[in-house]
Amino acid sequence: MKHSNELKVGLSIITAAIIFILGVRFFEDLPLFETTYTLETEFDNAAGLIAGNVVRVNGVGVGSIDDVYINPENNRVRVRFHVDREVPVRQGSHTVVSGFDALGVVRMDVVLGSADSAKVPVGGFIPSREQADLLGSLSEKAPVLIDRMDGALAQLTSVLETTRSMLDDPDGDARQALASMRGSVGTLDAMLRAERDRISSILEEVDGITSGLNRAMGPDGDSLAATVANMNAVMARLDQTLLTLDATASGVNELLDKVNRGEGTIGLLVNDPGLYHRTDSLLGSLDALLVDFRANPGRYLKEMRLVDLF
Amino acid sequence: MTRNRSIILAPAVALGSYSLLLFHAFSSLGEFGSYRKNVVRQMVRVGVDSLPIVALAAAFSGAVTTVQTAYQLVSPFIPKSIIGAIVVPSMILELGAVVTGFILAGRVGARIAAELGTMRVTEQIDALEAMGLNSIGYLIVPRVIAGVVMFPVLYIAASFIGIAGGLFVGHAGGFVPAGEFIDGAREFFQPFDPVFGLIKSFVFGFIITSISCFKGYNTLGGAEGVGLATTQAAVISCVYILIADLALAATLL
Repeated sequence: MKHSNELKVGLSIITAAIIFILGVRFFEDLPLFETTYTLETEFDNAAGLIAGNVVRVNGVGVGSIDDVYINPENNRVRVRFHVDREVPVRQGSHTVVSGFDALGVVRMDVVLGSADSAKVPVGGFIPSREQADLLGSLSEKAPVLIDRMDGALAQLTSVLETTRSMLDDPDGDARQALASMRGSVGTLDAMLRAERDRISSILEEVDGITSGLNRAMGPDGDSLAATVANMNAVMARLDQTLLTLDATASGVNELLDKVNRGEGTIGLLVNDPGLYHRTDSLLGSLDALLVDFRANPGRYLKEMRLVDLF
Repeated sequence: MTRNRSIILAPAVALGSYSLLLFHAFSSLGEFGSYRKNVVRQMVRVGVDSLPIVALAAAFSGAVTTVQTAYQLVSPFIPKSIIGAIVVPSMILELGAVVTGFILAGRVGARIAAELGTMRVTEQIDALEAMGLNSIGYLIVPRVIAGVVMFPVLYIAASFIGIAGGLFVGHAGGFVPAGEFIDGAREFFQPFDPVFGLIKSFVFGFIITSISCFKGYNTLGGAEGVGLATTQAAVISCVYILIADLALAATLL
């Protein structure tokens, strides 16, 4: 089917017009068809807000700024903007300018009011709050900080007063503690005075030891490490030895237990006093024998000779 | 008229005769009814028939802009949405109108100049005059009107297809997701940008068609003269598109 020239031209112009309008609305973040409503707000300082900037609720883009101008009645910045119809902007909502002008990303946040209040009508007015930048939040929190600091200072004052009253009382514990401390310090001072020479010589020795140690550790750090390694080996061996010793000791313990109980030869030896007595008498007899032997060696030598003969 | 004088004054003479031609043309707007059919035919030739080549060029310039912007953005601190924020305004402000302008300077400007030049050297224009028709009104006004009306249409098509091409290549090529591309474009979108583009396209449409008509209508000589007029129409249209581009940007942005 051959289309007339008029139809072609008309269709292309209409299509272009539709694309233009929808395209501009699309990039302006307007919905393609009218489902938004317009609201107004006022700022002392718009901080670089311009038409086309995004309007966000809880971080979600829901609309954009239509117009920013100075209200001649009160010299404040009047901002007209629109948001999606689904967004419930209710009484008690407020607006805040946020973002950084220096980075070119300024936007407006709408903080929604409580869910049970009435909806703001189309074209209605929403109050604004100051920009919540670092300084703003700091100055918001400043009264709380000052209150807390005030409380802390009051407490500090009462503590100081208690301390002073404690110190003022001549019979108070604090006073006496201080007095005895003073005495101790005096004694210490006298001692230090008396022993000054010795202390200085001790310090010199310590100094010498330290420098020796330094020398040992300084350039010859390796030898120290080797020593430590050796020491470790020695310790390990010592550990082994101690284990053996432990076993030995328990054996000895067991033995001594037996001995104590009077079991075995040594036990009888230790526990039987009869042996002692007999030994004692034996030694007495031996003594008498030797005395006799010294006095009359002949009596015994005769028999010794007999023994020699064999 | 000495040679020296003509070199110095030639531009002024050309500007004067160009203005007079246009003045004659638009003073005959009252006879518009008699060449309404001609206007529509020219609109189809200038506008509708140019859509495929304009769409092709726009799609590729959008795609290339996206790829090159992605290539140049190496810093990890710059969000990828910046690609959209660069490609879309570039397309709307500059490429949509200028790329279309260059293509139409070649395609439409050359054809108008060749048509009118041939009519001039074959004395058809004189025949129209002899038949009592206002040749300037009949030949020039429909073409200029067609350029001024259809060029914005082509500009809108070029911008739309260029942005779509950039978006598609950015997404399909993995340079920037479509959502981020559009977010970036929205973040930095100025409602005046497309209006400025439309103004540009009106001006470019007028420049191309009127210069080509002027060159074609005043063709001298035979076939060689037609060739010269055609070349001059295309080249001078391109030069004046660039000059007008700068002048508009300097005054309106």
